Amino acid sequence: MKIRVLLFALEFYRAALPGYHYEFPRDHFNHPEFQTEWWYYTGNLRDTQGRRFGFELTFFRQGVDRGKEPAAMWDVRDVWLAHLALSDIDGGKFLHTERLNRSGPGLAGSSLAQARVWNGNWNVQWDLRTNTQQMQAIDPRFSFKLNLRALKPPVIHGLNGVSQKAEGLGRASHYVSFTRLETRGTVVLDGRTFMVEGLSWMDHEFFTHQLDAAQSGWDWFSLQFDDGTELMLFRLRRKNGTADPYSAGTYIDARGQTTRLARDTFSVTPGKLWNQYPVDWIVRVPSLGIEVELTTRLPQQEFESKQNRYWEGAVEIGGSRRGAGYLEMTGYAAPVPSIIKK
Amino acid sequence: MAYQKIFYRLILRPLWRERLRSALMVATVALGVAVVLAIELAGEAAAGSFRSSVETLAGSGDFEVTATGGVPAEVLARLVLLPHAFKLRPRIEDYAVIAASNRVVPFLGVDMLADAGANPGNSGADEFQRGGSIWVGKDAGWKPGSRVRLTVNDGSADYTVRGVIEGAGEAIITDLAPAARLLGRGSNLDRILIDVPPSRPADQWESILRAALPDGMTLAPRGARTEENRRMLAAFRWNLRVLSYIALLVGAFLIYNTISVSVVRRREEIGVLRALGATRLSVLGAFLSEAACLGLAGGIAGVALGRVMATACLRLVAATVDSLYVSSTPAPIALTWAVAVAGIAIGVLVSVVSALPPALEASRVVPVEAMARGRRDHDVHMHRWRDLALGAALAVAAGLASRQPPVAGKPLFGYLAVLLLIGGAVLATPALVSVLSRATATAAGRIFGVEAMLASRSLAGSLRRTAVLVGALSTAIAMLSAVGIMVGSFRQTVLLWMEDRLRADLYLRPAGPAGADRHPTLAPGTAARLQRIPEVAAVDQFRAYEISYNGLPATLGGSDARIAGRYGQRPFLSGARPADVFAQLPGRDHVIVSEPFANKHGVKRGDTLELPLGGRRIHFRVIEIYGDYSNERGYIIMDRGTLLKYLPDPSPSNVAVYLRPGANLEQGRRAVENALAGRKVMVFTNRSLRKEAIRIFDRTFAITYALEAVAVFVAIMGVAGALLALVIDRRREFGLLRFLGASTGQIRRIILFEAGLLGLLAEIAGVALGYLLSLLLIYVINRQSFGWTIEFHWPVTVLLSALSIVYAATVLAALYPSQVATQLVPIEVIHED
Repeated sequence: MKIRVLLFALEFYRAALPGYHYEFPRDHFNHPEFQTEWWYYTGNLRDTQGRRFGFELTFFRQGVDRGKEPAAMWDVRDVWLAHLALSDIDGGKFLHTERLNRSGPGLAGSSLAQARVWNGNWNVQWDLRTNTQQMQAIDPRFSFKLNLRALKPPVIHGLNGVSQKAEGLGRASHYVSFTRLETRGTVVLDGRTFMVEGLSWMDHEFFTHQLDAAQSGWDWFSLQFDDGTELMLFRLRRKNGTADPYSAGTYIDARGQTTRLARDTFSVTPGKLWNQYPVDWIVRVPSLGIEVELTTRLPQQEFESKQNRYWEGAVEIGGSRRGAGYLEMTGYAAPVPSIIKK
Repeated sequence: MAYQKIFYRLILRPLWRERLRSALMVATVALGVAVVLAIELAGEAAAGSFRSSVETLAGSGDFEVTATGGVPAEVLARLVLLPHAFKLRPRIEDYAVIAASNRVVPFLGVDMLADAGANPGNSGADEFQRGGSIWVGKDAGWKPGSRVRLTVNDGSADYTVRGVIEGAGEAIITDLAPAARLLGRGSNLDRILIDVPPSRPADQWESILRAALPDGMTLAPRGARTEENRRMLAAFRWNLRVLSYIALLVGAFLIYNTISVSVVRRREEIGVLRALGATRLSVLGAFLSEAACLGLAGGIAGVALGRVMATACLRLVAATVDSLYVSSTPAPIALTWAVAVAGIAIGVLVSVVSALPPALEASRVVPVEAMARGRRDHDVHMHRWRDLALGAALAVAAGLASRQPPVAGKPLFGYLAVLLLIGGAVLATPALVSVLSRATATAAGRIFGVEAMLASRSLAGSLRRTAVLVGALSTAIAMLSAVGIMVGSFRQTVLLWMEDRLRADLYLRPAGPAGADRHPTLAPGTAARLQRIPEVAAVDQFRAYEISYNGLPATLGGSDARIAGRYGQRPFLSGARPADVFAQLPGRDHVIVSEPFANKHGVKRGDTLELPLGGRRIHFRVIEIYGDYSNERGYIIMDRGTLLKYLPDPSPSNVAVYLRPGANLEQGRRAVENALAGRKVMVFTNRSLRKEAIRIFDRTFAITYALEAVAVFVAIMGVAGALLALVIDRRREFGLLRFLGASTGQIRRIILFEAGLLGLLAEIAGVALGYLLSLLLIYVINRQSFGWTIEFHWPVTVLLSALSIVYAATVLAALYPSQVATQLVPIEVIHED
């Protein structure tokens, strides 16, 4: 059954296979030949008075139809979903919202020619010359306008251009990150404008079929240490409660050199629970001398989407290194939806 | 003397003793109130709370963007990028015909994907993308899984109901993609609804939006369309409302008459009571209380009856609104407490006001005078010439009022003229009755015998009572004939107009009921296929669009001017020949407009109209105005080529087919039907189209006839009640006649003759007044409200049959009173006192 679904998908879409030749900036934008694609922005910001904010802005694309007929204006070939959240850490508030669109006359999309990724008026406009990005997101309750500048070149995760997620050829994604984006701008909340600055992280993944049926969700960490290094880890959980052997990570040193971390080189240990979610963690990478505790001041950073529920939130780092990061936990309160899992 | 005692002696006892008369009075008030209430409720449901039916699911949006011929998709793309927290809802709006019931329902394309984000439970993209999937409003009554056959434009197909949507009325809903494909909309939308956040005032948002929109887009506060429709319907509702007050007016006359009769009859009692110490005020109070009680009972019954009648009215009113103005789904009839209380208050008020003159008279009865009879009748005798002069003065005033222009689009002076004329006629009635009944008395006696003579004398003798009765009945007859003459003239005018206007042999339009604001289209290749038929000489394609001009809805159309010029017969209002005018249309920004359009917007020949078309604002010169009776919204017509230049959709809304001279109509028709190859198209021959048009015309005026009928019914009922009172009042006289040897047959004949004479007088006065009123209706009220030129015609057959029925009913109404009179026992009545 699963195989048939895979074969069906592959009739219209490409799988993420080793040896993919990356070319930037082209590969920062759309890959309609893959069924699923996302552009994931998270960040920790502080205003001039020290008030802390976290943000998430994610653009998802899911191919739903690759028929041979040329698409008419309103035909839905891709569903564009976007998630937006603001964590008002010191205000104790988590605000989130989502929207769905079709490409239509340009309602949502990702375009190299226009150098932007957008869903309505949530958009990221790139300046390809200076490698900076202008981000804008607007909700009736809050909005922000941020300028993101990459301090390090993009990181390609995994081996040979693919980040393997499960056993089998093509059960993988092409996974690229900007791990250190210097961020400045304004956040408007409850009619007040805050001048903010901080660090953001951007993930871009595209694939056709990655998880397998025995996997129930994942815990994903993006940690930015004060010493100029970053750590990305993901732990895939199996339905029987064990960690999947395909869990992996990447360490980026201060100069941008990357080290791939296999399953047996790190450990992540869940701590205190908020609802079903373990919001405190201990992360150990013995080979790098990393042993840090992750905590959050705002445990309610659960994104309740119409299609899905997951926890995505700003965390603080203490221990052998200090810093801030983002933590994502899926498959606890609700199964990972088909749009992501396919 | 205690007030309660006076009230009991003067009012309650007689009321109970004459239960039938009391019941008739209550019924009179009830019917009057019921008609007013029914029209108000039905009008409100059909038009007042009116929203065009495509407004379903529109929610409470703040602004809307529309454009003639559609809003390009790029406009939406531009708006979604604006850095403001707007909520945008693009829509494709049209109509579908449910094949099973032939009902027209809104067919909406909405962004079901974006809505899926807002509504949990709405699944992913695949389901609504599937062809043949529809969602339906709850009122449609279908369950998920039902199969429904729909005709959209000229195509018919089966659809599966995937879900039911709350608050969507009867609408059929699909996603934008299948809707655009089915309706051939390409990438255009019909409307974008915009919700704005409350962080700025509305006018700031409006200017921000306006700046973002390209030329040719119409930005309006939401509900502007509803407002426009409301304005358009205002005149229609006004006239309907005024018509509904006729029954009440007639009722008022009858209450006045009934109370007058009872005052006259109870003079002796009043005199006795006054002699025993009752004050004037308490006598006045007693009679007014009687009227108030009757009015209250009538009002309550009227509210209940009105609620029932409203349902029937609503069907008629909604049909008229739909065929003449705009597609609407009537709201449920809402009888609020406020309306109910107002209805009861009207009943009480009308009743008390009508009773005031006789009650005042009663209070003036001097104790001593009580014994003297007939003095009051003498008073009327004395004043009838003075009243006649006053009536003539009122008529002159009516003539002056009829020359005044409308006030705020309403023919207020026209209505005033109608009231003045009716008032004048009522004042002139006593003189007329006395002259006519005296004149006929001898003649009647000679021809019909002594009973007729006695009847005439009796009418002339109790002049006051007779005059009021004749006044009430003739007012009802006058309104009946006036409206009859107006509608008949209108009908004849339309028939003549169609004769000139409809020159083609066959007319085609997409299947389903027609509506003034719905323009379903035929497949674009239709005309080309028809032209290949050997019998066909020419094919004129007409395309219509809904537009808004100067805040009022109108229809923009394109027709093949060369063909119209070749076949057109009817000269333009200026007298210009069709061939000359139509030759000036092609290749130029020239238009002709219909007379209702010209009247409504004050447009004259040579004026310039600015219309937003195809993303630009174009100036068109009005070269002629043409007479048109097809709808009240008004037309702007240009050459098809010009229309296509700005709005390139080639699908026609209607097609007119001219056959070659000598071609067989039946053969031509069959060939046309064959060429349509299974499309859902209605083919009318010239004759059947005219028949259809006149059927719609008659349906439109059905409500008018119904209102008239109620008014006449009230009047006849009043006549019956009055005659009954007359009989009871004159029972001594009848007893005496019997005593003197009159047979029961003779007594019966006297009363029937009285009724017949009363009816005759009322009809003579009514038709004369009706003729004058019809002139006001045709040349003042209609022109100022609707802007139609109606040629005067006497609808002889309709009028004669209506008057005969009324006459027969009047005489029949006398049957029961005459029966009562024959049953009086002579000895008993004579010894009553």
